[in-house]
Amino acid sequence: MMAQATTTVRGQALATAWLAPAARAALMLLAVVAILLLFLAPVVILVITSLRPGWAVYYIYRGTAFTLQNYLDVFAKPAVVRAFINSFVLATLATIISLGITVTSGYMLSRFSGPIPRAWFGTIYLFRTVPYISWVLPLYLVDYYFGIYDTYAGILLPHIAVHICFFSWIMKGFFDSIDPSMEHAAMIDGCTRWGAFVRVALPSAIPAIAALAILSWLYTWNEFLFALILTGHDTALITVTMAQFVTELGTQWNLMSAMAVLAMGPAVLVTVFAQKYIIQGLRI
Amino acid sequence: MARVGLEKINKLYGAVPAVIDVDLLIEDNEFVVLVGPSGCGKSTTLRMVAGLEEVSAGIIRIGDRMVNHLAPKDRDIAMVFQNYALYLHMTVYDNLAFGLRNRRVAEATIRREVMRAAEILDIGGLLDRKPRQLSGGQQQRVALGRCIVRHPQVFLFDEPLSNLDAKLRAQMRIELKRLRERVTTTSIYVTHDQVEAMTLGDRVVVMRDGRIQQVGSPLEIYSRPRNRFVAGFIGAPAMNFLDVTLARIDGQLMATAEDLAIRVPNEQTATLERHRTEAMTLGVRPEHMVLGDPRAENGTGFDATVVVTEQLGAELLVGVRVAGAIVVASRVDPWTKLQANQRLRMSLDPRGLHFFDRESGAAIR
Repeated sequence: MMAQATTTVRGQALATAWLAPAARAALMLLAVVAILLLFLAPVVILVITSLRPGWAVYYIYRGTAFTLQNYLDVFAKPAVVRAFINSFVLATLATIISLGITVTSGYMLSRFSGPIPRAWFGTIYLFRTVPYISWVLPLYLVDYYFGIYDTYAGILLPHIAVHICFFSWIMKGFFDSIDPSMEHAAMIDGCTRWGAFVRVALPSAIPAIAALAILSWLYTWNEFLFALILTGHDTALITVTMAQFVTELGTQWNLMSAMAVLAMGPAVLVTVFAQKYIIQGLRI
Repeated sequence: MARVGLEKINKLYGAVPAVIDVDLLIEDNEFVVLVGPSGCGKSTTLRMVAGLEEVSAGIIRIGDRMVNHLAPKDRDIAMVFQNYALYLHMTVYDNLAFGLRNRRVAEATIRREVMRAAEILDIGGLLDRKPRQLSGGQQQRVALGRCIVRHPQVFLFDEPLSNLDAKLRAQMRIELKRLRERVTTTSIYVTHDQVEAMTLGDRVVVMRDGRIQQVGSPLEIYSRPRNRFVAGFIGAPAMNFLDVTLARIDGQLMATAEDLAIRVPNEQTATLERHRTEAMTLGVRPEHMVLGDPRAENGTGFDATVVVTEQLGAELLVGVRVAGAIVVASRVDPWTKLQANQRLRMSLDPRGLHFFDRESGAAIR
């Protein structure tokens, strides 16, 4: 019986079959640790750095001097507080405005064919394939030309465009996965085409829309390149403000880390509380 | 309640025809089943009646109205979908009420209608549940209820039982039949299951490659198929086919194959001789193949070799090789002892011989 079982396992031709079970377990453990280190180590180093006094940041593995002063110092800077407010307002506005368009355009791409959906699909496909960085300089010129450089509108509009181009696909994927016969039933039950979308398709898409909202919001919250080029003093965002701790006199790692930890807050909150929706959203 | 008329209906997808020249008049309160293999155009036809697909050519009437250009909501129809298509975010009660609310029916009337439907379908205890909390059979009842409450002119069924397991399907088939006695509305029912077609339909429409092959009562279709396709599609186990050549032997018309000569019954002789060719396909249903009993042969006897047997308990299916083909005999006594390669004497029931033109497949009558 035992011999039989062993043969079966060998028969499956595992890559590690020649190893003893203990060795195999050790190898597995090593892989897990390596992956954890890869993803967790930067965060751990960041958090520790943010708790160290300025003179101790290069020796985070030595010494016992820890302080919360960095956080207080960061918040004492009006520019930082303003950056947080700016980023929050921008991410929220961009998400709310783009969501309506993203959801309807995803629905259109999923359910309709013909010249208009095809043209729309081609447009967002094109925008997605153009390297991200090559948008920035033209956008700067456009912003400048319209006089909206360093205003909310100047950064909000590009972000909305990006949301629509990037996330319409996710929404299309979601609507592809739900059977259109539910909407057909609604149309037979007395709804117009639009009514079937609003009253039947939309309510069943709520988990996907929630996931989409979170993804869009985090995207804008974390975005750096547009923020760097299209904003200045008036609408500074967290990512750019954080980078300003790099000065001609050196980098204030402790303050920068403290701000980075604070900026991570929303992402962590989302991971903890809305994980279920995100996974649902990513699975579609 | 209304008649439904399809007049020369065509549907093209690009250049590909899906439905070709379908002509069908469905009487008031009639239950018509469209049956055929997948891709035969039956669902497309149904969806054109529903207004979910545009009609490429032809006219669809419901009652006296031409409905070609009406939106689904204005056609006064109700439809049951293969996957039920219940509104997942609503309770069962709201699912049933949805169509009536859209028509601005008073809430008291809605309640009465929903309760009546729930009583008919025995889903009264489920009204507060969401569709995901229901079994397949229960979801199917809710989908039926959603149709009943509306009192539409026409019911459309798109393979409503095909998502259920075999046992539940048989049960729901009987319930549909009973429901039919209480709610007599003109119905069009699409299925690929010939048992559903036979048991439910007042009339059956057999379709293939977008065309109607035959329209008739279930028994008519079964006993007088108009062509080889209908003969082979309806009935399980399927009809056996043998390629034969007609020849006069000693003054008697015989259907012959390599080691086989079957006497053609007198009543068919004239018709067959009038036909333009001698190359025929002989069709015999498994129940018309008889084992042994040389007295009953009547000139239809032949020798065969057993290839395989399938024990079903109530009967035995015997697959035998004859004239280079394998044919199946059914209704054999399950206690018959047979072995592979055993030689057998068999005969055919002369009432069950169908002749088809080998080239066109048309039945010769």
